Amino acid sequence: MLRYILGRIAQAVGVLWAVFTATFVVLYLLPSNPVALLLAAGDMQADDLSPEQLAALEAQYGLDKPVYVQYLDQLWHLVRLDFGDSISKHVPVSQLLDERLGSTIALGATAILFTLVGGLSVAYLAAWVQWRPAKILLARLPAIGVSFPPFFVGLLLIQVFAFSLGWLPATGTDGWRSLILPAVMMSAPTAAMLAQVLTRSLNDTLGEPYITTARAKGLSRNAVQARHALRNAALPALTLLGLLLGATVTEAVVAETVFTREGVGRLAQEAVLAQDVHVVQAIVLIAATVFVAINLVVDLIYPLLDPRVTHTQRVS
Amino acid sequence: MRKPRRIGALSLAAVMGLAACGGGGSTTASAGDTPVPGGTLKIAFWDDAQGCIDPNQVYWIESRSLDRQIADSLTDQDPETGKIVPWLATDWTVSADAKTYTFNLRQGVTFSDGTPLDATAVKTALDGTYALGPKSLLGLTYLAGYKSSTVVDADTVTVDFNTPNAAFLQATSTTTLAILSPKTYQETPEQRCAGKVVGSGAFTLDSYTAAKEAHLTKRKDYAWPSGLVKNQGAAYLDEIEVSYIKEDSVRVGSLTSGAIDIAWPREPISEADQQLVEAAGGSIESRPLPGISYQLVPNVAKGGPLADLKVRQALQKAIDRKTYASTIYWSEYPVVASVFDSTTPHFADQSAALAFDPDGAGRLLDEAGWKLGGDGYRYKDGKKLTLVDPVTVALPGDQLVQDQLKKIGIDLQLKVVTAAQRVEILASGGFDLVLTYLTRADPSVLGSVLDQAVSQQGSAKYSQDAATATKVSELFAKGLQATDPAARGQVYTELQQYLIAQGVSFPVYERVQVAGLSGKVQGFAFTSEAFLRANDIWLAR
Repeated sequence: MLRYILGRIAQAVGVLWAVFTATFVVLYLLPSNPVALLLAAGDMQADDLSPEQLAALEAQYGLDKPVYVQYLDQLWHLVRLDFGDSISKHVPVSQLLDERLGSTIALGATAILFTLVGGLSVAYLAAWVQWRPAKILLARLPAIGVSFPPFFVGLLLIQVFAFSLGWLPATGTDGWRSLILPAVMMSAPTAAMLAQVLTRSLNDTLGEPYITTARAKGLSRNAVQARHALRNAALPALTLLGLLLGATVTEAVVAETVFTREGVGRLAQEAVLAQDVHVVQAIVLIAATVFVAINLVVDLIYPLLDPRVTHTQRVS
Repeated sequence: MRKPRRIGALSLAAVMGLAACGGGGSTTASAGDTPVPGGTLKIAFWDDAQGCIDPNQVYWIESRSLDRQIADSLTDQDPETGKIVPWLATDWTVSADAKTYTFNLRQGVTFSDGTPLDATAVKTALDGTYALGPKSLLGLTYLAGYKSSTVVDADTVTVDFNTPNAAFLQATSTTTLAILSPKTYQETPEQRCAGKVVGSGAFTLDSYTAAKEAHLTKRKDYAWPSGLVKNQGAAYLDEIEVSYIKEDSVRVGSLTSGAIDIAWPREPISEADQQLVEAAGGSIESRPLPGISYQLVPNVAKGGPLADLKVRQALQKAIDRKTYASTIYWSEYPVVASVFDSTTPHFADQSAALAFDPDGAGRLLDEAGWKLGGDGYRYKDGKKLTLVDPVTVALPGDQLVQDQLKKIGIDLQLKVVTAAQRVEILASGGFDLVLTYLTRADPSVLGSVLDQAVSQQGSAKYSQDAATATKVSELFAKGLQATDPAARGQVYTELQQYLIAQGVSFPVYERVQVAGLSGKVQGFAFTSEAFLRANDIWLAR
């Protein structure tokens, strides 16, 4: 078991290093000079700086050094969790993250909660309900959820719940009420995918002989489904959930734009457009860390649900 | 029926030099009612991409609208006539060579930190803004040739220039040269950008979070607006709350559902959305943004097709500006008529020279040796007539121009690049056409993008051959030497004619600031630069 965990952690670190290197290479290859961006303006483009002033700015951001030195420099700083300064916003990246990470975490956590509750309850109900029309409706619901683009779902939610009914705010980053609509938007496709996979595997599991045995012992349908079927049907859903949660960061970009929320998602979008190297680096690494961490947790939960996982590892 | 919009093709050149009309400021229809003090005005802009609020540094027009409420200027500019009127300065003299300005200051004015306004404060502010250098892109041109400021006595300050700067008087009316409290200049430029700014305006800035929100509170003891403001005392509004909403539909929905009182976008509110706003009891206000109209500037240095004057003249005739205005915007949307928008002082109507003439364009291209090929495009020596325009987003308007040019055989390629790449392309001249625009209610503003003598920008560097550049620089320099309005008008009229005839600039559309107001908002007013002026605004109950 320990070897399994250590192996997974080593793998995670390797992935992060690869992500850092890939981002560095991509950003370095892009044809532009970050210092020129300092002068790029929304209303005008001025490059009225003398070559000396440009050189001084390049030195300030360490852009005058050879590529491999910049690479090692950044890697060394990152190991110590120092992300450097934002080129477009003139403040340390850590300060930007400090300001914006909280609201994205709150949004992501709420969306994950909605994904779990929504996905689980739809799948559970779909397997449990006996009345055919309801069963069909519940089975089709996920397909609808997946097929609507999140952007459109967001605007629809705003139209209905903010503008027409006036129940929840359309924009802003204050309090739990402003979290609900964007979290619903983010969780709609993920909950739908989760429900789809879980419904399928629940239905498969419910056909297994041991379920018939459990039924025969006199357990209620609810008890059979909750205690026996769900646990065994959860494995494929868990794998999917790991992937879905990792995608939360990318979904936050859309949610934070539509709902005008402060957060890392929007920061990422702005940073990419402005080619703000240090900010992009930091966000990509955070996203990768979240992804890797979630999948690590998923991998660690596996053996608890199904002991065969670790066993097989040791044999091979 | 919709209410008539406040878009007038104001021929400011005709009225320049006339006396200020006194009352000033456009107001909504029901402004005759007695204003009710109190309340919070909620306004949503579309974005805050520069993330800076310091009036001295910011170029982002949304921030400048906010800064107008926080900081006062030495002078003010009448939106109707373009005339400069007293504000923090009661009167002034300008030397005949436009190199020396002397201002007498109003007494009894204080900054919101309690410091009184005096000659030293004005000197500190002008020196401080000049010291920002390239951190203040607008300040660079507004203070071009700045030598020093001298405190004559407590209420008199003299500003000296090394080179003539006749546009400086208008510059003193802008937010860029707003006078901030001397203590402000002890903060770093970054801290000032982030909100550490203290002015003498009718409102004070309580908080500012870039791209998220700003909060302004009125100054109860405010008593020194310019004569253009009706309300000569403290503002009616208690507070102003600012948010930034990027999505047009969400911003308009927020207005119609009552979550905000003013929707202030960058792109004009669409006709359909205007109807929504009006159906909800709101109204639409608009004013063309004075300064450089939205235009394309050629690259003649690349040795491409645009090096030939005939091809440039053909291009001038090939753009159908009337159809552009009515297709991209709406039927009564103003048609661009010069290199300046119609609200710019000394604007001179060039509609005749900008008329749509596809046949004339075709003839010119034939003469230049570009013959129509079988595919509808023109060719010369086996080379296709292709023009590259680097854009960050290919907007419907760009595609319309592309389509219009295609009809006479020009292949306009919209090369979509990132903002970062665009900067490089501009600097290295890797384009045939490039867009430019800038807001300032003075014609000298065009020099900052076209005059090779003062600007290093790609739009200046590549748009003219040596002979043309000499003439263009000469005209801009003459404009900066002329202190007499009639003489200035003459110079800038000649400049507008010359730029269009030589194909140095291809105006495409007039930039119009449109704002959606809820039914509650009364006494709305634009400044001469189409920014917000909140002094007269009050909320109906």
